[in-house]
Amino acid sequence: MTAEPRVRSLDDPEILVHSPAAIIDAVPPYPPRTEREAEFYTLADGEMFINLGPQHPSTHGVLRVVLKLDGERVVDLDPVLGYLHRGVEKICENGDWHHAISNCDPLEYIASMFSEAMPVLVAEKLLDLDVPRRAEYIRVLAWELNRISSHALFIGWLALDLGGLTPILYGFIERDEIVEMLAALTGQKLLFNYLRIGGVNGDLNHEFLSRLGDWMGHAAKRIEDQMRLMNENEIFVGRTRGLGVLTRETALRTCVTGPPLRATGVPYDVRRAHPYSVYPELEFDIPTRTEGDSYARYLLHLEEIRQSIHIIDQVLHQMPDGPVMAKLPRLLRVPPGRAWVAFESPRGQYGAYGISDGTDQPFRLRIHDPSYFTLQAVGELVPGHLVADTMAIMASLDPIMGGIDK
Amino acid sequence: MTDTALARRLQERLGDQLLAPVGARHDTTEIWVGPGQLTSVMTTLHDDPDLRFELLADLAGVDTGGVLQVVYHLWSPLSPDWLRVICDGLPREDPRLPSVTFLWNGAEWAEREAWDMFGLIFEGNRDLRRIYMPPDYESFPLRKDFLMPDDASRSPGLGVRPMEEALPPADPARVPVLRSSAGAGSLWSGTGTQVVGPGPATPAISAGGDA
Repeated sequence: MTAEPRVRSLDDPEILVHSPAAIIDAVPPYPPRTEREAEFYTLADGEMFINLGPQHPSTHGVLRVVLKLDGERVVDLDPVLGYLHRGVEKICENGDWHHAISNCDPLEYIASMFSEAMPVLVAEKLLDLDVPRRAEYIRVLAWELNRISSHALFIGWLALDLGGLTPILYGFIERDEIVEMLAALTGQKLLFNYLRIGGVNGDLNHEFLSRLGDWMGHAAKRIEDQMRLMNENEIFVGRTRGLGVLTRETALRTCVTGPPLRATGVPYDVRRAHPYSVYPELEFDIPTRTEGDSYARYLLHLEEIRQSIHIIDQVLHQMPDGPVMAKLPRLLRVPPGRAWVAFESPRGQYGAYGISDGTDQPFRLRIHDPSYFTLQAVGELVPGHLVADTMAIMASLDPIMGGIDK
Repeated sequence: MTDTALARRLQERLGDQLLAPVGARHDTTEIWVGPGQLTSVMTTLHDDPDLRFELLADLAGVDTGGVLQVVYHLWSPLSPDWLRVICDGLPREDPRLPSVTFLWNGAEWAEREAWDMFGLIFEGNRDLRRIYMPPDYESFPLRKDFLMPDDASRSPGLGVRPMEEALPPADPARVPVLRSSAGAGSLWSGTGTQVVGPGPATPAISAGGDA
């Protein structure tokens, strides 16, 4: 620690004070290894470090962020990842293709119907497999339900990070109904493990359909309630409109996908850009906005919930009869080759690059998680904002640490 | 259903810089380049108004067992196909290739991950440090010669993959194993420094709270 006081006091910005010890701890105890690290861990006059996390509730998982502050304003930040790292890609290489499904489940633990689809879709593409149409429709139904439950929670978390407690309760009511519904279908509430290579684990059952019918009766009204509660709320609008503005160019440069990219006006949705499953047969819009701020991202999530309800409506009307699993050998030897699949998760484009060497295990399964790239974009958006707005901006980008840390 | 017009255009513009003719399967067009041509190929793909591959969908390291590869997936509004660019022929001992952060600065973390997991050195990335593993970690976990202590593939029930059989013990230097992150001489073992435990005793903030 230096002898001279060098940090601007929070009580009186004119006074320089010594750093508290906890602030010094944010600095790594080794010399900088890269240009960027040297630049970040050098303090100019009046700047200081604040260590946020890894157990801070607003980091949406176990994430540590080192913030460089000048008074109340964030100058720069350095996220430190790895607290949830399992090495899932290595684990997948060491099990067979079926094991990879349940290993990928906990990646996006808010919407695990999506992350478990990765090994499934890659293997099906490598096998050139035709999945029964009923199974495809059931998948779309499960995906869209899960998307709604994830978006409902997003809205709640965003408001919670701004200090409002009520919306998260409404978000959980919505999520609870969908989770119970999916539990009736899959037997699990959180990590469904429902998709299978060649289909799904089981057909629709009576309890699922009756819960779904109940929910469909009031789903649209819930969205209206949500909009009445938050859209015009002065505090909410004041703390989201114009904050964390992502431009079209920055979004494309930082490889951001999903709602943050569509909020900048790029109509990129994998369901339309590279159609998969039965999405080409369904009618829905890709909502976009042009502002690119936190408020636009919030409105976009609401609109996407509506579109998902619209999709579910069509799926229920068009659902064909038939088997839900393709006929496949139990020991699945996937032919050698390379395949890339991408699909639209609630947080953006989930991708998987699979290589098979002809055995029953993946030779390589690369998992591309959209949250990893949106979290990276936080570093572009936050500088210049207040500390209190940091978490609001991060919440509006909606990263999930399970997928980031893999 | 591949985009043959795209394949023709790529062959025309970049044919002399590629290692193999343009390939295609499923909905993916595929080109192979060496690390020397990567910068110019990627710049052309990104900037050429007839190609406009403006979104980097993914950047992945691959260990083929011999050489290493880096695989890029790109998206263009002008083509219904994905484009896969495989940068091939990176030697295990010193796998160096140019960074693409000058086109997509979002590739910065993806390259950090590839460095962390495969030891790929991206020249021009300003922040190439480990991202998941601790800073004083020495091995590269996703390489094929990195064996997990409980390697499931060597259990009799699942069969044996020749790629992942243990190397002969005569050459211990070639078998990277998990090393202690706080041993003597480690960066974190000095006095007065903060030693972070194996996992923060988290109350599973979101994992439980979000459910």
